[in-house]
Amino acid sequence: MARNAIGPTAHGPQGGNRAHKDVCAFRQKCGDVVQYGLPRRRIPYAPRAMSPNLKARSALVTASLLLATPTLAQAPQAGAPPAEAASPSPPAQAQPTMTKAPELLQQVAAPYPPEALAEGLTASVRLIITIGADGSVSDVLPTEPAGHGFDEAALAAVRQFRFSPAEVDGVPAPVQVEYVYHFTLDAPPEEAPGQQQVQEAPKATLTGQLISRGSRSRVPGATVRCGDDPEAPEALSDADGRFTLLVPPGECAVRVVASGFQLYQTKEQLQANETTEVNFFLAPSAGALETVVRSERPKKEVVRRTITRQEAQRTPGTFGDPIRVIQTLPGVARAPFISGELLVRGSNPGQTATMMDGVGIPILFHLLGGPSVVNAEFVDQLDFYPGGYGSQYGRAVGGIVEVGTRKGAVDTLHGSVKVDLLDAGFFLEAPVADGISVAAAARRSYIDTLLPVFLPKSEGSTLSVVPRYWDYQVRVDFGAKRGARSEAEASPDGARSTGYIMAFGSDDQLRVVSSGPKTERDLSIDTQTLFHRLKGDWTYRKGALTSVFTPYVGYDTNSFQFGAAKQDGVSYTLGAREVLGLELSSALTVRTGLDLVYERQSFDVQFPAPENFEYVAFPGAESVGELLVEKIGLGSFDGALFVEADVKVGKFTFTPGVRGNLQGAGDTRNLALDPRLWVRFAATERTNLKGSLGLYSQPPETFRFIDLPYGNPDLVYQRAFQSSLGVDHRLTDVLNVDVTGFFNRRYNNIAAPGQIVTREGGGVVQLPYSNEGIGRALGLEVMVKKDRASASDKWSGWLSYTFSRSLDGRAGPKPDGGGGFGGGFGGDGDATYGLSPFDQTHILTLVSSYVLGSGWELGGRFRYTTGRPTTPLNHTFDLFQADRNRFNGTYGPYASARTAGFHQLDVRLDKGWQFQNWTLGAYIDVQNLYNAQNVEFVFNDYRLRQEYEVPGIPILPVVGVKGSF
Amino acid sequence: MKTLIHSGGLLLLAMTVIACIDPEDQPSRVHDFRVLGVSTEQPELMASTCERTPEALDALAAEVTYRALLVDPAGGGRPIHYTLWACADPEDRTCANEADRALLAEGTTSEGELTFPIRPGAVRVGEDRLLLERVQEEDPYQGLGGIRMPLVLRAVAGDEEVYAQKLMVFWCPVVEGMKANEQPVLPGLRVDDVAWQDSELPEFTGPGPFVVTSEDVSALEEAYVVPGLRLQAVNLKEAWEISWHATLGDFSPQETGGADFGGQQGRHRTEWEPAEGAAAQEVTFWAVVRDGRGGSSWLVRRARWSP
Repeated sequence: MARNAIGPTAHGPQGGNRAHKDVCAFRQKCGDVVQYGLPRRRIPYAPRAMSPNLKARSALVTASLLLATPTLAQAPQAGAPPAEAASPSPPAQAQPTMTKAPELLQQVAAPYPPEALAEGLTASVRLIITIGADGSVSDVLPTEPAGHGFDEAALAAVRQFRFSPAEVDGVPAPVQVEYVYHFTLDAPPEEAPGQQQVQEAPKATLTGQLISRGSRSRVPGATVRCGDDPEAPEALSDADGRFTLLVPPGECAVRVVASGFQLYQTKEQLQANETTEVNFFLAPSAGALETVVRSERPKKEVVRRTITRQEAQRTPGTFGDPIRVIQTLPGVARAPFISGELLVRGSNPGQTATMMDGVGIPILFHLLGGPSVVNAEFVDQLDFYPGGYGSQYGRAVGGIVEVGTRKGAVDTLHGSVKVDLLDAGFFLEAPVADGISVAAAARRSYIDTLLPVFLPKSEGSTLSVVPRYWDYQVRVDFGAKRGARSEAEASPDGARSTGYIMAFGSDDQLRVVSSGPKTERDLSIDTQTLFHRLKGDWTYRKGALTSVFTPYVGYDTNSFQFGAAKQDGVSYTLGAREVLGLELSSALTVRTGLDLVYERQSFDVQFPAPENFEYVAFPGAESVGELLVEKIGLGSFDGALFVEADVKVGKFTFTPGVRGNLQGAGDTRNLALDPRLWVRFAATERTNLKGSLGLYSQPPETFRFIDLPYGNPDLVYQRAFQSSLGVDHRLTDVLNVDVTGFFNRRYNNIAAPGQIVTREGGGVVQLPYSNEGIGRALGLEVMVKKDRASASDKWSGWLSYTFSRSLDGRAGPKPDGGGGFGGGFGGDGDATYGLSPFDQTHILTLVSSYVLGSGWELGGRFRYTTGRPTTPLNHTFDLFQADRNRFNGTYGPYASARTAGFHQLDVRLDKGWQFQNWTLGAYIDVQNLYNAQNVEFVFNDYRLRQEYEVPGIPILPVVGVKGSF
Repeated sequence: MKTLIHSGGLLLLAMTVIACIDPEDQPSRVHDFRVLGVSTEQPELMASTCERTPEALDALAAEVTYRALLVDPAGGGRPIHYTLWACADPEDRTCANEADRALLAEGTTSEGELTFPIRPGAVRVGEDRLLLERVQEEDPYQGLGGIRMPLVLRAVAGDEEVYAQKLMVFWCPVVEGMKANEQPVLPGLRVDDVAWQDSELPEFTGPGPFVVTSEDVSALEEAYVVPGLRLQAVNLKEAWEISWHATLGDFSPQETGGADFGGQQGRHRTEWEPAEGAAAQEVTFWAVVRDGRGGSSWLVRRARWSP
C-alpha cells in the first residue's frame, strides 16, 4: 500500500479502516429547507464524531456527516394536523430532538478511480445518504457530481456502509445525512513518528473557538490541524465550536475543515509550552443556505404542503409574509385584492383554521389587510392541509394552516432586526441555561407617524388617521439538554420530558377623526383589537408511549367606537389538549385524546337603536335611534374526543379515526360525529397512492349564540364532507410531483342573514345567522416542487396548478330584505345557489428563486387565475327608488360572466453582506412588475347602466433591510 | 365583531378605490331625463285604531296628492308619458304582477312637477280585495313597519324610460305616542352664506366652488315613535337628507345630512362647481329633501352663471 506523492490513496477498512475520517459538522440553525413531499425538519442536535479519528498514512478521505433528522419526529400540534402515519405516533408538541446520532459501524473504502489517479486528480463527492431506522443505507444520491469516476466509486462504497440507528426523541428513526467523500493524494506512506515520540516532544497549545461568519453560530465537528500532513495532530471542535490542539511549536499553517463551510487557512506562530487562544470565523460555503435537513416523514394526510421560513420570507410578492405564501399553493384560490383570506378548496373565508403551534390565531392580519400577526422571523415552517386531515384535528370545514414556531438557539445569542416601509421588528434567540433556550420577536408599525405627512390638509377641516399595530412572540424551551443522546441519559427510568412555554399576541388600533365646519360631517372611528395567548407544551415519552399535554389561556379585547355607537368586548379562553400515542406493534399504532376549549365572552354595548334589529327600517335616510345600552355575556364550551389508529397491512397503511364533538353555548347543546378514513398505498419506494374521506365540523363562534335579535342560539355545527384521491412521486431526491383530486360538500354552514320569523310572545325577528349555507367543490391539484439539494444548488421553486369548480349558496329561499350567501351574490333574481363568488377555474402559480452568487438571490412569482364570476348588468330602463334616492339594477343570469383573467409577475432581489459577526440583508420586492391592469373591483355608475372595472395594485416596489447576527 | 372590523377595513379600502374612479354620469349632474323626487301629501295616513273598523278603513282610504319631479333639460319640452300603479310587493319594482296591481293614473305631461290626487288606500285588486290587505299579506314584518304600499310611476320621454317607486305608508297606533308623519320642507337655501330666494336669479361668476347650504332644519326634524320588532316602542329622530342637482356642473357632496349608524349627522353644506369650459348660461338647481320615513319635498332655484 505504499504510495508516492502522487499515488492513489483511497483505502478501505482493509487498510486499517483508515480511509475515512468522519466529521459531524452541522449548525444549530439548519434544516430550513423543507421539501414538499419530502418534509424536512430542523433538528437541534449535539454533534458528535461518528468514528474515532483515524488517519490514512498516504491518503485522506474525509467524510462529513452534516445533519440528520427524524423521519417520524414531527408530531402534531394541538388542534393541528396529525403526526405521521408510520410514526410511533408521537403526538408531540415540541420540536423533535435527535437524541442519538447515527454512527458509522461499517465502512467500505472507495477504490481510487484509475483514470483520475493517472491524471493526479482529486475530488470531494458530496452525497445525501438516507439511513433507515435499522441503520442500513437505503438511498444515496450525489448532490454535486465530481465526474472522473469519483461519483461512482463513492456511491458504490457508501451503499455498503452500515450505521447504528439514529434516534429522535429516543425512538429509532430514519434520517438523511449529508456526507462528503474526499479523494486526495498525499505523500507516500512513511512510518510516522511514534505516538510516544510525539507526546514527548515540546508542545504548543492552540485553542479557540470556531464561529460561523455572519451568524456567529458555533461550528461543531470541524477538524483543526496544522498543515495538510495527515499525520499531523488534529482536534475536533465540540458542541460550542471549541477546540484544543497540541502541536509542535513554530509556525502552524492552520487548516480548518468543516462541512458546509469553506476551507479555512491561516498561520499562527506557536511558542513552546504556551497556549495561543484564537477565534476563527469560517465562511459558510453558500450564502444564506444553511444545512439541509431531510426526513422521509410519511404523510398521514393525503396532502400536506410545507413551507420553510426561508421560502416564506423570500417568496416574491408576499412581502415575506408567511401566511400569504400559503396562497401560492394548490387548492387555494386567489383572495380578492389584498384581503389575504384563505379560500381553500371552495370554502369561504373563515372556514380554514390557522394555528400557531396548535393554538388558534384569533386574527390573521393586521389592519386593513396588513402583514400577518405572526412575525416571519419567529416561524420555523408552515404546514398547510387543504383537506383530509386526521381525527385529532377539527374546528374547520376548510383546510388547516399550522405555523410552527422557532425554538431558540442553543449555541449563543443570535438575532435580527428588520425594517421596511410599514414597520420594524426584531428577533432574538439565545440559550439561558443548559437545556433552556429562549426565542423572542416583536414588531411595531410606524405608519401612524408617517401618515400625517401624506394626508391632505385644508383650512376648515382636519383629518387624523392613526393606524397602529404591534405583535410579539416569546418561546422558552426546556428539557432537551445538549448531548442527551439516549433515553437512559434522559432519566433513570428511561422516560424523557421536553416542553416549552410560549406567549404571543398582537394589537391593532385605528383611529380616524374628521371634523371642521367645511367637512360634510364630524366623523369619529376608533377601533382596537388585542389578543394574548399563553400556552404550555409538555411532551413525555417512555418506551412506546408518547403523551403531549398542551394547556393554553387567552385574553382578547375588541373595542369599537363610531360616533355614539360603542362596543367593548372581552373574551377569556381556557383550553387544553392531550394526545396519547401508543405503538402497540410495528403494524399498529393508536392515538387518542381530548381537545377542549372554554370561552367566556362579554360585551358592553351602546348603540343608537339599530334598524332592522330593533325596528323595521324605512328605505332612505336613517333616523337617529334612542340609545340602547346592554351588557351581554355568554360562555361556550367546545370539546372533542378522538381516536385513530395506523394499521399497516403490507404496502397499505389504513388510518381510520373518529372525532366526537360537543358544543355548549348558553343553553344550546350540539353534537357532531366525524368518522374519517385515510389510506396510503406505497406502490414503490418513491411513489404513493393516497386517498381520504371523512366528515368535518366547525362550531359557530361564541358571539353568534347570543340572544335574538343579535345572535341565534339555535345554531348547530357547520359540517363538511371531504374526500380526495391522489398520487405523489419523488422524481429525484429534490424533485417531487403530487397530483390530487378532491370533492367536498359543505352543509349547515353559517349564512347571514337568516329568514324573518315570528317570535314567541309576539313580534318578528330576522335571524342574523342561520345554518342554511351550503356549498360544493371539486377539482384537481398539481404540485411540482424542486428543492435545493445542497448549499451549492442554486435553483429552487415550485409550480402549483389547480383546476376547480366551486358552488356556494343557501338551502332556503332568498331571505326577505336581501342578504347574501357565502361571499354574497348579485343580480335581481331569486337564485340562492350557484357559482361561488370566489370560484376560479384555473389557478396557476410559478415560484422560483435562483442564487446568483456573491450574496445575490433573485426570485420570481408568476400567477394566473381565471377571473371571478360576476352577474352582468342588463340595463334597459332605470329603476329609481324615490325614498332611498337610489337605483336598482336589472341583471342578466346570476354569475353568467367573469372578469378578465388575473396575471401578475412579482420579482424579488435579495443581497446579503456577510461581516465577521453579523449579516446585512437588503431586498427589493417588486409587485406586478409589468404593471398588469388586473380587475379587482367592478363598480356601477349610480343608475346601474354601466360597469366600471377598477384595477388592483399597480407596479409596487417595496424595499426592506434586515440585519442578523 | 372581528369580522366586522376586518370587513370594515376592506370596505374603507374599497371606498378609497371608488373615490378614485369618476364615472361621467353623476347624480348631481342633470343632463338627461330623470325623476328626481316623488312625494305624497300627506306623506302617510294613520288610522285612529288598529281594529278593522269602517272609520279606520275610511281614514286609510283618504285622498292624497301625488307629486313627481320630472326633469328633462335636454328634452326641449318633449312629451312625457306616464303611468302610475299601486301594487302589493315592494320587491316588484315595476309593478309587473298584474294580479296585484291597480292603475292609479296615466297620461302625458311635460317636464316639471307632475301632480294629481290619488286614493291608494281605497284601491281594490283581484277578487275585489283591498290592495292594502294584499300588501299586508306580502309583508314579512307583519305590519310592524306600517303597511308600505308601492306606488310605481313609469315615465317615458323619447327612448328614456324610468320606473320610480315610492312607498306610501299606512299606519295605525300600534304603540303609544305614534302620530302621522309631517312633510319635510326646507325653509330655504343660501349661497356663499347669502339667502337664495325662489324669485331671485342671482349672478354666479367664476369657477367656484360656490358654497350652498340649507337653512337650519334641526328644529324641523321630528322626534317620533315606531313599534319595535319586539312590540316595544322605539323612539327615533329624523335626520333629513338633501340630494343636490343642477343642470350644469357638480355638487360635492351630492347628498348631505342623514345619520350613520353611530348617530353622527351630516351638515347640509355642499359646494357647487360649474363644468370646465362651459359657456355662460342660466342654471337650474334642485334640492330634494327626504325625512327617512317617507316624507319628501323639493326646492327649485335658478341662477345666472358666467365664467
